[in-house]
Amino acid sequence: MKNSLVNLYPLTKFYFALFIAATVIIVPNYVFAFAWFPVLVLIAVAAGVAKSFLSFILKTLVILLVIVFLMQLFFYPGEEVLASWWIFEISREGLNYGLTLTSRILAIGSAFILFFRIVEVKDFVKSLEDAGMPSAGAYVVLSTLQIIPEMRRQSNTIMEAQKTRGVETEGSIITRAKAFFPTLTPLILSSIASTEERAITLEARAFSAPGKKTSLHKLTKRPIDRVLPWIYIIIVIGLIIWRVF
Amino acid sequence: MKRNYKKDFTLLALLLIPIGVAINFVGFQVAQVLRLPIFLDTIGTILVGVIAGPLVAIVAAFITNSITAIFNPIYFPYVITSMAIGLGAGLLSKYGMFRTIYKAIISGLIITAIAVIASAPITVLFFGGATGNTSSAITATFLAMGQNIWSAVFTSTIITEIADKVISVLFVYFIVKSMSDRYLSKMKYGHLYMKKSNRNK
Repeated sequence: MKNSLVNLYPLTKFYFALFIAATVIIVPNYVFAFAWFPVLVLIAVAAGVAKSFLSFILKTLVILLVIVFLMQLFFYPGEEVLASWWIFEISREGLNYGLTLTSRILAIGSAFILFFRIVEVKDFVKSLEDAGMPSAGAYVVLSTLQIIPEMRRQSNTIMEAQKTRGVETEGSIITRAKAFFPTLTPLILSSIASTEERAITLEARAFSAPGKKTSLHKLTKRPIDRVLPWIYIIIVIGLIIWRVF
Repeated sequence: MKRNYKKDFTLLALLLIPIGVAINFVGFQVAQVLRLPIFLDTIGTILVGVIAGPLVAIVAAFITNSITAIFNPIYFPYVITSMAIGLGAGLLSKYGMFRTIYKAIISGLIITAIAVIASAPITVLFFGGATGNTSSAITATFLAMGQNIWSAVFTSTIITEIADKVISVLFVYFIVKSMSDRYLSKMKYGHLYMKKSNRNK
């Protein structure tokens, strides 16, 4: 079970996340949207990522969901008042809209969180490249992922260095704001200067040479990866027809 | 259009994209470490727009939000906002709107307007007005005062965006000023900011 799930083609998993997003937008019922969550948890358990999946949701989605829900509950205009307290009024419409909105955010958000738990970004980019994304684009995305942590480290080093020179990073907001510039300016200028060297290195390795490039990193598509996307499309079309008529 | 699009993505412009994206992330992180009340998470996008043009900036913005989405999918819908900011910065740069500090401030205000127009509908339609940061508290205050959701979100977005975008644009202005002519000469709009060409005009 674990392997057959994890071994699905990255795009098949991506389409599944899009499929969930499409269905919760088409079906206006919040019970349906909430029902996706236990399904996703089951998939996470089957794929062996339940723990990191749930802790991610706890960190990113839960606070937002509570705020969004309370906001709709108290401020959504509605006629049918269920309860009122001080300046706040809870209406049935507000309750409904709050549940609809939170159920959608939960379903779509957790679908994509799960997607990135079970797919390596490297594989996802490779599958996009196979689907026709320019190889320069794939290079840009992957090198971005490498450069971000590197630049974060550099910015910490620069910040420490500037502190040693006497740049204040504590105190009033003006003092702290002033420290922003000496931290970031040298970092930006030096990283931009390094792109010229990188361009020379890449050209030396025939980066912009025309022709097909071979890759050491290969992904395989199995029959199920051809069938599943069609199943999603058929269900989505079915739901749209059901909704319209 | 097709030919233009190829011409914008020179190798150096391509290599500028990861740097721009990383600047967005690092700018945000440094602002957090210094406990500044603003985000400063579009400096890279604006910088790319100013020197490499709108199309490259749109790609940088798209990658920025896609990477954010890996860690927190909630922010992905705002990809529209970031792309609009990149497009705006690129077009403003084309007409020389980053050449003097006064023009840069005006550009900052225009980019604020773009950011507000592009992000308020997303906040209302996707999240019903709340995203869980400080502006939600401001929105809630306006709602409690009896404003409708649209004007409440617009007002609170303007309040949170204006300082953020004007400071980001000014920062980009000073960064571009301190870039070497040699590098600028290789970028699409670099000639606008080279010291030599400025002296001749």
